[in-house]
Amino acid sequence: MMRIVIVGLSAAGLSALETLIKHAKDCSITVITEERYEPYSRCLLTHYLGKELTLGGLFISKTSSYPSNVNCIFGRKVVSIEKDANKIQMDDGTHLFYDKLLLATGAEPVKPDYAAKSNRVFTLRHIEDANKIEGKLEDKATVVGGGFVGIKTAYGLIEREVKVNLVISSGYPLSVILDEETGKLIETELKNLGISVYTKSDVFEIAKKPKGVYSLLSSNKTLESDVIIVGKGVKPRLELAESAGIAIKNGILVNEFMETSVKNIFAAGDCVEAYDIARNETFINAIWPNAVEQGYFAAMNMLGSRMKYYGSIGYNSLKTKTFHLISAGVLKGKDIKTYQHYIPSRRQLRKIAFRGDIPVGMAFLNSPNDAGVMVNLIKRAKPLDVKPEEAVKGDFSLLQNLF
Amino acid sequence: MKTVIVKPERCVGCLQCRFACAVAHSKSKHSYTAISESPLSKPRIHIGLLKNAIPFPNKCRHCDPAPCERACITKAIYRDEKKNIVLIDPTRCINCGMCAMACPFGVVRYHLQINSKIAAHKCDQCILRQSEGKVPACVETCKVGALVFGEINDEMDKETAKVAELVWLGIRQKSEEEANAFSSLKEYKSKLIEIAKRR
Repeated sequence: MMRIVIVGLSAAGLSALETLIKHAKDCSITVITEERYEPYSRCLLTHYLGKELTLGGLFISKTSSYPSNVNCIFGRKVVSIEKDANKIQMDDGTHLFYDKLLLATGAEPVKPDYAAKSNRVFTLRHIEDANKIEGKLEDKATVVGGGFVGIKTAYGLIEREVKVNLVISSGYPLSVILDEETGKLIETELKNLGISVYTKSDVFEIAKKPKGVYSLLSSNKTLESDVIIVGKGVKPRLELAESAGIAIKNGILVNEFMETSVKNIFAAGDCVEAYDIARNETFINAIWPNAVEQGYFAAMNMLGSRMKYYGSIGYNSLKTKTFHLISAGVLKGKDIKTYQHYIPSRRQLRKIAFRGDIPVGMAFLNSPNDAGVMVNLIKRAKPLDVKPEEAVKGDFSLLQNLF
Repeated sequence: MKTVIVKPERCVGCLQCRFACAVAHSKSKHSYTAISESPLSKPRIHIGLLKNAIPFPNKCRHCDPAPCERACITKAIYRDEKKNIVLIDPTRCINCGMCAMACPFGVVRYHLQINSKIAAHKCDQCILRQSEGKVPACVETCKVGALVFGEINDEMDKETAKVAELVWLGIRQKSEEEANAFSSLKEYKSKLIEIAKRR
């Protein structure tokens, strides 16, 4: 009976577990997670904070429904791996032997220096974080970071009629994935929703006030709010992989079978630096769908099926009541040429980036209907049978390029 | 397991399947009353246009594993394991747009649902009609055989038989000079390419 141990029970861990439950009825599976809650979806925390969902709506799986060969250990941390002995050590001193180990340790938010100075500075990654924010929040919030997490948090809060300041250090929102023109459009959309957007500024210092906190911006402004929520990206959790001597760059390096450099240890999810199709190099794309996919491939390969993971791309969807942005891949960089089609009357922007004749990036604003086709064409990384100028107009479907 | 098989080359783009689909998923299930319902029932099958305005029916393929199911952050998208149909639970859906981003066929739309919230909306392979022993509405209404309800392997066998027949005809014609199945297959393919070019 093969002993499989999974560390972490979020997107990647859960996806791997569900795959194993389906295909490996004769294995004994142990899952160790630091969380104290049943598996829940992190992406929904901004909706939970926005009171669109109740706590119950966050949970996506019931451990009570798992078969008897699955053992879930909650609230326990794995502290070290002894790779030669195939053994892991937990924080209460107990140890476990494994035949195959999956590291799905995920990532933690980057915390700024000023976070330590006040108990009103938060990041949003766990249910506890959301509950703590809820405890301090009245009617004003400052959100730092112009990425998807920052914007989704700001949108969630504005929907429950909290006054929101969004502080973005670069010149426009989503600067990592979007080009300036599209970013500016999104900025206008966010302002129209009622969010106060401060670009090219960053919080460099904070000051306490009786019931709230001041944040001093680099652009000489002072914002007043009940809480500061920081969404400035995530950092993979690598302590465990380091203890086992696994090869690491920015994240855990894996081959196309999701194997790490150490035998019998696999990795998946936000802690992994896998091949990025659009960038044509290894990169951490810490998003939910990639983690689920990697969890599936890791599980299949742990069972010995040798399924090749084709690689990830960064893609995300940002939907509010007024606009819907779907972006994927990269839109700027060396040798990248972008083509766009803008229809102001429909507030529709379609932008596709090409490297040579291969599509590598896209941003579709208010044009969701064929966005999925384009995302998958980027994943396919093959030349299209039409000219880029034609492809971007969207007069006809590009579906036949997928076959 | 029977499923809806799309034969894009037969589609004439009449949109009857769209109307039938909307009616089949309406409250009253009758074309007279369905058009005045609120929220208006929306079709779950789409007629896409390829290059040179060639129509093709585009609907959910119920992929396994399904990319939309993997991308769904609320697990509102799930698979009915018995019938092998990918379904959406509109009460769990939070309208985040992730499934539209993941779907390689671009068939997910967002519409107002009965509980007056917007949720993802796509083909459910007429699961209700199937439980009543009927075929899906789009298949029933398609007059040109572009939508067929059947076993995928059977349909593929039929297509293979068709090709084999053509090849056999080719061999018979050429039997005097060269009886070579491969060359007539090649000829058949080049004819197809020629037809495609003419369009």
